[in-house]
Amino acid sequence: MDTVLQLLANGLMLGGLFAIVAVGLTLIFGIVKVVNFAHGEFLMVGMYLTFLVTRLLGLHPFVAVIVVVPALFLLGALTQRLIIQPLMSARDDHIQIFATVGLSTALINLALLVFGADIANTPASGLRTPIEIGPVRVLSGQIVIFAASILLVIGLQAFLQSTATGRAIRAVAQNRAAAQLMGINVDRIYILTFGIGAACVGVASVLIAPLYPTSPTIGTYFVLTAFVVVVLGGLGSIPGAFVGSLVIGLIDSFAGFYVGSDMREVAVFGMFLIILILKPAGLFGKRLNLSHVSP
Amino acid sequence: MKLSLLLKTAAAAVLFTATAAHADVKFGALYPFSGQLALLGDESARGLEIAVDEINAAGGVQGEKVVLIRGDAVDNNQAIGEARRLISREKVAAIFGSYSSARSIAASQVAELSGVPYFEMGAVADEVTGRGLKFLYRTNPTAEDMGKLIIEMIVNKVAPGIGKKPEDLKIGIIYEDSSYGTSVAGHQKKYATEAGLNVVASQGYPASTVDMSSLVLDLKQRGVDIVLQTSYQNDSVLFLQQANEANFKPAAIIGGGGGYSMQPTADAVGHKVIDGVLDADFTQFLVNTKYTPGLENFVDAYKKKYGEAPRSGHSLNNYVGAKVLLEALNKGKGFTPDAIVAAVNNIDIGEGVTAAGYGMKFGKNNQNERAKMMGMQWQDGKLVTVYPDAAAVSPMRLNK
Repeated sequence: MDTVLQLLANGLMLGGLFAIVAVGLTLIFGIVKVVNFAHGEFLMVGMYLTFLVTRLLGLHPFVAVIVVVPALFLLGALTQRLIIQPLMSARDDHIQIFATVGLSTALINLALLVFGADIANTPASGLRTPIEIGPVRVLSGQIVIFAASILLVIGLQAFLQSTATGRAIRAVAQNRAAAQLMGINVDRIYILTFGIGAACVGVASVLIAPLYPTSPTIGTYFVLTAFVVVVLGGLGSIPGAFVGSLVIGLIDSFAGFYVGSDMREVAVFGMFLIILILKPAGLFGKRLNLSHVSP
Repeated sequence: MKLSLLLKTAAAAVLFTATAAHADVKFGALYPFSGQLALLGDESARGLEIAVDEINAAGGVQGEKVVLIRGDAVDNNQAIGEARRLISREKVAAIFGSYSSARSIAASQVAELSGVPYFEMGAVADEVTGRGLKFLYRTNPTAEDMGKLIIEMIVNKVAPGIGKKPEDLKIGIIYEDSSYGTSVAGHQKKYATEAGLNVVASQGYPASTVDMSSLVLDLKQRGVDIVLQTSYQNDSVLFLQQANEANFKPAAIIGGGGGYSMQPTADAVGHKVIDGVLDADFTQFLVNTKYTPGLENFVDAYKKKYGEAPRSGHSLNNYVGAKVLLEALNKGKGFTPDAIVAAVNNIDIGEGVTAAGYGMKFGKNNQNERAKMMGMQWQDGKLVTVYPDAAAVSPMRLNK
């Protein structure tokens, strides 16, 4: 029984980790309709920034949020304005995908140039302390990530549902042409949304940096699962991304123990395929009406 | 007028190349100098360069100055292209390399077809020499040597050190599931079975994992005494940290090179957590230099040439391989492939004579059958040699 509880806890903590990375990705996908392959590298940039702020100023990693979140917002907004937007009118949507792949490669190599291939350690500052809850052990930092991912999901949902900007963002997501006719500045909304999505991954990077050593390729470790989560949860659905993360985290944890570590990915992707066959739009997704995607 | 000038220049050029060709003998230095493997590729090449400097200072090889022509093997295709260029355009007498097993396997194929000798001094995969090529020689220890040494170390040192019989120990083998981890784990299993050890778990995992908690829990519940992990850096850090946090304290953890030999790994995990963790790898620098004569001179030469201390044992192993090979060529007659092969086949060097400690004699498939890894342990934040006894600078620390 204790083993099951521990596996449950491990799975939920892992799910929280996937969720906090995936939230920004699903937001960008749902609204701007761009599959951001540089999302993992945004995470990496955020982690290096956290490392620098913490090391140079000797502050607690959480303080880095003041620097990292605005910086990532800017990085996202600039990516949309300078790279994606000029390609929006391209006849083929796939061009945007290639552009983000290019951005991802460029960022990895830039990090290799600046920081080298070695790993960089952000001080753990008490976030690696094991906490015992009954028979279960988890890390303080994992609990923080889990809580933060819930807050982020609730916060984003509230922002999208009940603010004017949020409504404008949803309007653009539903029908870009109609939103434009209603006087919404679609380009501005895209820049804003991409910025917010990147800022979310900024929050994630501040929380993850003390737990995982940073390296130029660290983003790829997290982002593949984040893509799975986004598709599983329903493209663009923020609560979907959260639930999808927990599902993947739990499958990963239980399969890793009962089936074997080398079979974890088989289990995760196998389950992923089964769910998609039963529910092609993902757990929380609505079927995309493709006529609305491109004007 | 113009024509005569042209002719003169041409004649001078021919004369120049002719004299240059007479005084120089060219060898290829084929390593990944750029891309993801650049750090250790470059580190490996530095060892070769120091060996060449020393040989040239001592009068060259058969009276000719050794010139290295670099080839950048950034990926397998480029390794093949560069091997072709070195052989057909630069006319090298042989190629030295290559650190990465995949690059070595690809490039040595080209050399074999051209009948040009290829000297591998750093790649560990079985297939490098396993293909039975005629012109490929390997000086460095391999994945098999690693597996063998680890099991030997458990039987001879670790088991008595923790006060148990080897056959009473529960061994758990975990490994990243690419060819590196899989092949080392395969040898570990084979030698463990031969030694009568009890392997209770053998688990591969993708190196890109972000969570090893299930694996740790599994090992803990099986009551594993000794964990053998073959891993890169990310997964070494992850396992050591998560094992510590899950309060899983096996009597010994033994890494297989990779992430376990790197100082940043120890810094990331924390010196307290990694203390006592064992590791098998190429000869490193905190070793009894009576067993590795010439190691201090190598380190001095390295510091003088590159302005920093060696970044890993890769340079040392390439240095030792190149030095022995070049000295053998010096005793040979000419630089034709057959002459080189004949000279190299005569090499017979015993243990404790080279700067890496291991001896050299080529056996089956032209593999150096005297190549050996060493056993190291993290003690007080440093990776010190603890096995074999002749090479140890500190006794192995174990808790009964």
